[in-house]
Amino acid sequence: MSLLLGPMHHHIPGHKDLSEHGEILEVKAGKQVFIPLYASHSTKFDILVKEGDHVCVGTLLAKCSDRMVIPIYSSVSGTVTGISKIMHMTLKPVDHIVIENDGKMETKPPFHPLDYQKASREELIAFMKDAGMIGLGGAGFPTYMKYQGNQEVKKLIINAVECEPYITDDLKLVEQHFDLALTGILAMKKMAQAQEAVIAIKKSHSSHLQLVETAVANINGVSVVSVPDVYPMGWERVLVRQIMKKEYNRLPIEAGAIVNNVTTAYAFANALVNGMPFVKRTVTISGNAIKNPQNVSCPLGVPASELIEACGGYTYDDVKLIAGGPMMGKTIVNDKFVVDRHMNAITVLANRPYDSVACLRCGQCCDVCPAGLQPVRIAQAGKIKDKAMMEKLHALDCVECGLCTYICPSRLDVTENVRKAKRQLTLAKK
Amino acid sequence: MKYTFNVSPNLRQSQSTKRIMLELTIALLGVYAFSLFYYQMEEGSEYTVQALILMATSLIVAFVTETIWALCKKQNVKTYLSTSFGWTTAMILTLMCPISITPYALGIATFFAIFVGRILFGGFGQNIFNPAAFGRAVLFASFAGATTDIVTSATPTTIMASEYNWLTLDSSMIQSLMTKTGGLWNMFTGWYPGALGETSTVLILLLGVILALRKVIDWRVPLIYLGSIFVLSSAIALFAGMNDWLWYPVFHICTGGVAFGAVFMLTDPVTSPVSAQGRCIFALGAGIITVLIRVLANLPEGCLYSILMMNMLTPAIDQALSGKQLAMRKKTWIVLSVLSILGIGSMALAVQAIEPAKPKPVEKPKTVEISMSDEYVNSLKASIDQTKDNGDGTTTYTVTAEGFAAKEGPNYPDYNHPFEPNVFEITIENETNIIKSVRPIVIKDTEYIGDKIQHEKYLNQFIGKDITTMEQVEKNDVVSGATFSVKSSMRALLEVQKALQ
Repeated sequence: MSLLLGPMHHHIPGHKDLSEHGEILEVKAGKQVFIPLYASHSTKFDILVKEGDHVCVGTLLAKCSDRMVIPIYSSVSGTVTGISKIMHMTLKPVDHIVIENDGKMETKPPFHPLDYQKASREELIAFMKDAGMIGLGGAGFPTYMKYQGNQEVKKLIINAVECEPYITDDLKLVEQHFDLALTGILAMKKMAQAQEAVIAIKKSHSSHLQLVETAVANINGVSVVSVPDVYPMGWERVLVRQIMKKEYNRLPIEAGAIVNNVTTAYAFANALVNGMPFVKRTVTISGNAIKNPQNVSCPLGVPASELIEACGGYTYDDVKLIAGGPMMGKTIVNDKFVVDRHMNAITVLANRPYDSVACLRCGQCCDVCPAGLQPVRIAQAGKIKDKAMMEKLHALDCVECGLCTYICPSRLDVTENVRKAKRQLTLAKK
Repeated sequence: MKYTFNVSPNLRQSQSTKRIMLELTIALLGVYAFSLFYYQMEEGSEYTVQALILMATSLIVAFVTETIWALCKKQNVKTYLSTSFGWTTAMILTLMCPISITPYALGIATFFAIFVGRILFGGFGQNIFNPAAFGRAVLFASFAGATTDIVTSATPTTIMASEYNWLTLDSSMIQSLMTKTGGLWNMFTGWYPGALGETSTVLILLLGVILALRKVIDWRVPLIYLGSIFVLSSAIALFAGMNDWLWYPVFHICTGGVAFGAVFMLTDPVTSPVSAQGRCIFALGAGIITVLIRVLANLPEGCLYSILMMNMLTPAIDQALSGKQLAMRKKTWIVLSVLSILGIGSMALAVQAIEPAKPKPVEKPKTVEISMSDEYVNSLKASIDQTKDNGDGTTTYTVTAEGFAAKEGPNYPDYNHPFEPNVFEITIENETNIIKSVRPIVIKDTEYIGDKIQHEKYLNQFIGKDITTMEQVEKNDVVSGATFSVKSSMRALLEVQKALQ
């Protein structure tokens, strides 16, 4: 801990043991699946199917062409029955394509497999773009954008940190499919023309560290690095700070790094090897108010209610149902929302309200803020609508990791107040 | 099934403000318990009861004030009291006060601390000044004389401030300072009278470490504050050219409640900057002000006012550090360096201005010379009763001379001694007229006064003097006050002188 800065992170009990055990439960899609038309903050889509169309697993359904081209594929086989507006995991009402599932899971791979060793860098980038690869760690940012530039990449950091409490799907993936993920990692390393690739895993997961270490032992330029068990270790800024001892302004590439999630690497490899888009994923269903916390594997578009049911249902009457982890995931007040590509977890927490008291300006939020902001002051400036001050305090650099609310001993919603300040600034800029 | 909405994140750490305040309260109780133990062991239960009354008064005033306010604002009293944490202010204020203070003065100060210092600013979390320090300042300004009959000896701080001017280079002075204050170890352990909770440096520092480890206080603040006091006072010692100077900074750390201020008051989050960087600047500034007030200002102690002054600067410090903390590091280092240079520089200047306490020159006993031709001496009656040749070349004269009893006694109705003269034996060497001895035979003057001229130190001054040329005698501190008796002895000598001429 330095004199002039707080730790800029904080250990949060992980509760990983709840869901880490056992096999991944296969959950079949029910009668209907709902494919969300949402990609990287955009809901503007060209829909390429119409009511009554027959689709297979892998059929192209729609294309987002707002700022970048992102295709959406079907996750089941069956008949398109229409479009319905449902609450998305991002807390926005979003159009979903409804598909009546015929249960056959007829599959038509949309891509021709590509051997990354033979393909050129440009071919790989184009392939990644067409395959609709987005960051699967939670952000949902189109992955190919990171590889387009020509800056020197010293390190490709593969993020298997999984810093959110309760979530273990990345760990499960490392346990069961690391061989395929490694293919993706090597392809990405080639695309990035990176000097080396490092796989970051928390040091508390010693068995996973060992597994990966053995797997990459004979591969040049690929290594595993253990990182502290703190939150938000998986944010790329914190990873770059930890591994490269560097700060950057906007993007990790400024520090010579590209950061991608291990599940993204797996999904990319699946496209390269099997010609399949990302239409099925592992989701951690965990929390203190679910009967059987575990990891489930299901096609995209399956409603949360079906997954909860598969895990034995709730154990508490009043719950916070969270799409994602407890820190950054959003609570949604119904269980109709569906699994999207970057939804790695559903967390169910018993709702036990707490009393809040006045802010005592303890500054703990400033000490732990991974972006080095002063959340309490941004919140204050937001309250009095002092835009100049919010700007001075770099409110927009906040990624809403939630650590300030977590740490606040007065139990205030600091993150939410910062969010409000950010909203004021964004509105003013429009 | 109920789905509750909540803005993310949905997890909370276990430490709460209530727990922080509870742990702070326990630490304060520890300090208070030490104080009660000290007064019980050293002074007895009268003092312990006084200490209990003081704490009770302050707590009651705090609770009553807050209750009335909560009722006025139509708030739930229990909730208001449990979330405004007024008792910590009352406890800190009490622990800053000497045991001799009257409960009513403390009560009024508590009211000011709670009502003006906190409630008027908007309650817990909104106040600009540390409320306990504010209350203590009220006491200093308005109730300096409000003390009970309970007497305590001077505290090391008062001794150092009033008798030693906060600086002394003389080794015998340092020695006497250590004797008066009980020595550095004694001050470190706190076994001396002082403000209730400020004496035991070691206990306070220990509690400080525990509180810092438990994240109740920020470790930076006490460390930088005490560290800067140590460095700055060392600088004074070195600039002043002190040998074996190490005692000096240690003395600064162990006196006047700087440890208490460092652990329990400067760390008050409400009145200090929010960022770690701001708190570093805050603590360094307070350290510099504390030492400057001590060595240069009229006040005996600087801790309290340094806290209040830095409280005032807190918004400015926060304002100056608006931005990303990583980017503000450079600015902070610049401010810290400038402050350090200013601090050390002002110490160099301060040394020029401080008058180091020097040992007072040993005063020569006052000597008053009384002449043989003194009118009063000559007005006394005297006679040589007997002249005896001793056969060894000396002659002894037995002389009767009036003294206070014989001459003045009759003038005082209450004087119940016989009004009789004194008798002296004066031995003179025949050839040289040198006085060999002067011996009082019968002294009728009052005890004490009369006794004094029988003192060897007085009588010996005549030996070896030529009686014929003697013109005056010295009336020194041995015979102070015994003017009449001295004059009586002179009259006897004068009679011999006359006889020999």
